[in-house]
Amino acid sequence: MESVGTGGAVEYVVASPDELPVGARKLVEVAGRSLGLFNVQGEIVAVLNVCQHELAPVCRGRVGGTTLPSLPGEFCWGREGEILACPWHGWEFDLLTGQALADPRRRLRRYPVRVEGDRVLVTL
Amino acid sequence: MNADASPQGVIDTDIHQVLDSRRMTDFLREPYRSRFLSGSRGPGHLGYWNPNGVMRSDTRLGDGRRIEGSPETLGQYFLDVYGIEFGILTGGNLHIGLSPDPDYAAAYVAAENDIVAADWLPADGRLRSSLTVSPADPALAAREIRRWAGHPGFVQVMMPSGARIPYGQRFYHPIYEAAVECNLPVAIHPGSEGVGISGAPTAAGYPTTYFEWHTGLVGSYLAHLISLVTEGVFAKFPALRFVLVEGGVSWLPPLLWRFDKNWKALRQTTPWVDRPPSEIVADHVLLTTQPVEEPPNGVHLHQILGMFDAGRMLMFSTDFPHWDGDTPDFAARALPPALRDRVMSETARELYRLPERTKSSLCETHSD
Repeated sequence: MESVGTGGAVEYVVASPDELPVGARKLVEVAGRSLGLFNVQGEIVAVLNVCQHELAPVCRGRVGGTTLPSLPGEFCWGREGEILACPWHGWEFDLLTGQALADPRRRLRRYPVRVEGDRVLVTL
Repeated sequence: MNADASPQGVIDTDIHQVLDSRRMTDFLREPYRSRFLSGSRGPGHLGYWNPNGVMRSDTRLGDGRRIEGSPETLGQYFLDVYGIEFGILTGGNLHIGLSPDPDYAAAYVAAENDIVAADWLPADGRLRSSLTVSPADPALAAREIRRWAGHPGFVQVMMPSGARIPYGQRFYHPIYEAAVECNLPVAIHPGSEGVGISGAPTAAGYPTTYFEWHTGLVGSYLAHLISLVTEGVFAKFPALRFVLVEGGVSWLPPLLWRFDKNWKALRQTTPWVDRPPSEIVADHVLLTTQPVEEPPNGVHLHQILGMFDAGRMLMFSTDFPHWDGDTPDFAARALPPALRDRVMSETARELYRLPERTKSSLCETHSD
């Protein structure tokens, strides 16, 4: 895997943008770490493939929408493609912020992503 | 036929068309569209829906096999990975025990037990299994238990916790008689509450969602435990051990306090309950850990585990590969250090008469 040193952090080439159209996911190994790459409505995000709860491979979970806040008996579906649900215990995470929907203290570990020409680069 | 009887204009008032299920997704709105596509389709299928599925989605291997689908994959991708010395299989179809047809149910579980004995137990020395019975006809269940008497691989009798009537009632005693005769504990496992001919999943009736149903499953455990003690099952079968699998843990101490308090006033209605119920429960009943409660302050769980004899009554379980499982490392971290050895292995080793820990594995444990 190609890497580019930038001071303390290291930037790695992890994919080409062609591999990550909107809605796509790619799991990659980077410097001994498993990462999930997701194209969320045009924004590529990189997430550590470990759930803080019981260390599950969270990036293998379902990506979809969720029900938005509503009154009892009403269902408003939204955020399609923005929510990652852990394959073990179903915890939902906002891919755009990393925040767990049910617990303000829990979040996904996200890494900076940059697209440069035909390269997607992640900084670890 | 009389030609005069030939119909002229017929109106049929009952014709069953079949809709293209793909068209349903054109018209169903979310969240019901996802629910429909995942196979939860209402009538004919218990309507409780878990959006994540009950089986973990990540146990499918790259070649399409499922980890839990064979003893080889279970050994390689689960027992090996977590360093599990022995694992007790609980995978029989417990729902069938709530079938209205007790003969089919008995035949079904017998076939499952045959498969386990033929294909699973010989394949990996770390595996032991539950002997699934259908309690719908206790005589048939007792016959199934005796059919396997002395088999070293079956280490407990397993029944669904969903039931028509509480498990202490004398209707079920032939099952306990056979289990004691064969030196087997009896276990119950949740999931069939509200299925088939079982009672409603809660005393208040049928809940609406999987979330509500799953959170309330403990209700059947309360009912069965109280019944087993008050009906005198443990007085009648002093050697019987009863295992409450996946029924939760933290509810036990306050229930036992109330149980003992009521016993002081009402013991004359069940004179065979000749000592405080909490003492009887401690001598005969065990619980499994998963899904271990996760209070915001972990010390609170430690305190609850100090309110009953957890070192003698609590056994670790993963519930693999279900959605609400606990990994061994997660459960061990949640336990007070002084209880870890008992809960993670030694109580189960005694109950199921598993071989002593080898010296090398002892060393591994201490080097952790």
